[in-house]
Amino acid sequence: MYIIGENIHIISKRVKEALAERDARFFQELAVRQVEAGAQALDLNLGPRKKDWEEVFPWMVETVEAVVDVPLSFDSTNIQGIEAGLKKVTKAQPIINSTSAEPERLEKVPLLAKKYNTKLIALTMGKGGIPVAADERVNIAIEKLIPRMLEIDFPIEDLIIDPLVLTVSGCQEYCPELIEAVRTLQVVWDPPPAISVGLSNVSNAVPRENRSLINRTYCAMLMGAGLKMMIADPLDEKLKEVIHTIETRDDSTPVKRLYLRIHDRIAAMEEPTIEDVDMSDPEQAAIWKTVQILLNKVIYADSYLQQ
Amino acid sequence: MPVEIPKDQWPGEVRTVTIGATAEEGGTRSRVVTVGGEKTLPFMHFEAETPNPPVVAIEIKDRRPDDWSPLLLDVWGDVANDPAAWAKAAEEAGADLIELMFSLTDAEGNPITPESAVTTVRAVLEATGLPLLVFGPGQAEVDNELLVPVAEATKGERIVLGICEDKNYRTIVAAALANDHLVSARTPMDVNLAKQLNILITDMGLPPDRVLMDPTTGALGYGIEYGYSVMERLRLAALQGDAMTQFPMIVTPGFEAWKAKESKVGEGVPESWGDWEGRAINWETLTAITLIEAGADIVVLRHPESVRRIKAAIEELMTVPEMA
Repeated sequence: MYIIGENIHIISKRVKEALAERDARFFQELAVRQVEAGAQALDLNLGPRKKDWEEVFPWMVETVEAVVDVPLSFDSTNIQGIEAGLKKVTKAQPIINSTSAEPERLEKVPLLAKKYNTKLIALTMGKGGIPVAADERVNIAIEKLIPRMLEIDFPIEDLIIDPLVLTVSGCQEYCPELIEAVRTLQVVWDPPPAISVGLSNVSNAVPRENRSLINRTYCAMLMGAGLKMMIADPLDEKLKEVIHTIETRDDSTPVKRLYLRIHDRIAAMEEPTIEDVDMSDPEQAAIWKTVQILLNKVIYADSYLQQ
Repeated sequence: MPVEIPKDQWPGEVRTVTIGATAEEGGTRSRVVTVGGEKTLPFMHFEAETPNPPVVAIEIKDRRPDDWSPLLLDVWGDVANDPAAWAKAAEEAGADLIELMFSLTDAEGNPITPESAVTTVRAVLEATGLPLLVFGPGQAEVDNELLVPVAEATKGERIVLGICEDKNYRTIVAAALANDHLVSARTPMDVNLAKQLNILITDMGLPPDRVLMDPTTGALGYGIEYGYSVMERLRLAALQGDAMTQFPMIVTPGFEAWKAKESKVGEGVPESWGDWEGRAINWETLTAITLIEAGADIVVLRHPESVRRIKAAIEELMTVPEMA
């Protein structure tokens, strides 16, 4: 699993404060911690920075590249800011996060990616927003995103399609569809584009204590559908344990066997069943309940584990 | 060629909830009202029996309301000055239940006191034999202040206490638990929040057959489709076996419809809108019937003519057609 570390994100209060103070050391430490924890690239979500982009984006690139060598992912809607950052990059091939299928973004952002030889994350979101159905999201990739790349001769190997994870708390019907979108996107083109998602989005607005469980259960399911890249929290040890369990087929404990079973069921286009679970084990019961909400079988509630 | 009608076999069903208690059961009501128990979607009589029809509650206030349409005040006349007389008139108008709603202040602008609230509820219980729903003015703190003494003074009546929401559910549920009442759990048009509140309420130990859920709705033209979708989703989940959604649903189309410009305003609207009173009653009736089709078990109405029409519609919807 290729993890793009998500932790430099403006929604975090500490990141916001550190950015306001231009606290280089904070960002360097956060970058190093993520890379040491296994992040193979770093997402830089600085917000639009309408007023100070000219200074902030290059500053962040210099600050982070002073301590790590991994690709940087520019996560912003501010094209000028992204370009200012790209000009400063001296190390790995960077990533632009992102374009969508909205006409204006699709016109401009891929040209920027081509000019600076970056990888490009493209969201399956058009003028009409994000469709629920997997097929419709795949269609946006086939009918809008990929044709635009061909049109400007942008290498499909550098394209990363993001079919968009939405939160189980409020957009529950999207959760099972996303799994199928990940599955289908792998066969829509030759050579196939890479696929990535923002995993933690699945637990936005969920109470903190349940976020990791939801994230790692969804991760096991998405790996079953073939996911190999994601923006996620590399500091979440339990998430990494699930990834490791699946990648090494480690079946040494009942819980690990359950994660493997869930992965295998999704890979076989089946649904996990209650026979896969030892409900007398609270940890397995919690994973089962989480699968149920992620497949939209049971309505999500903040206290879903207590039900 | 004979056509086989496909039937769904649902694994779950809505809980049955009984409101009110007769003398035998520890209350003073002349009859009780039972709702819920559905084993299929509304009025799918060919799939499963619908054991209890939807019912109509009439909303009355503790005093003559300041903000109600003159159409409503005219039709109720003088009884609107006296909650006991109003309750009696509502019973005569065909109500199955009376929903007594407290105002925030009395006519002089002083806050309603707990003592006067208890007096009002006693007078209403005296005037009607129908089961009662007692609702605070809708501000969590005031609701607590009024409903707790009311609950204590009416122990055993199996009154529905409202509004029970995330801000005050602990107090209201505790009052219901201690005094053998029910609660109406209200959430703002959101399936996740509705289910969450039900979990919290039942976690406190209130038996689930003493919970109604109010998923909130909008009037015709004012978001009713969102309310409809939420109710439909909750009901489907209930039938699929999700225990924390298997509660009868109560909604307030009277309140919602009479807020809409189309009902509220008689002047300064296009002439093509036609007769004001006819339009207003249609608004309330269409809002209510739509919600009944979405699975409402209790609709709370305001105009007696709407009550008459909705009762007639329910009777028709409950008639099981002869299958060839």
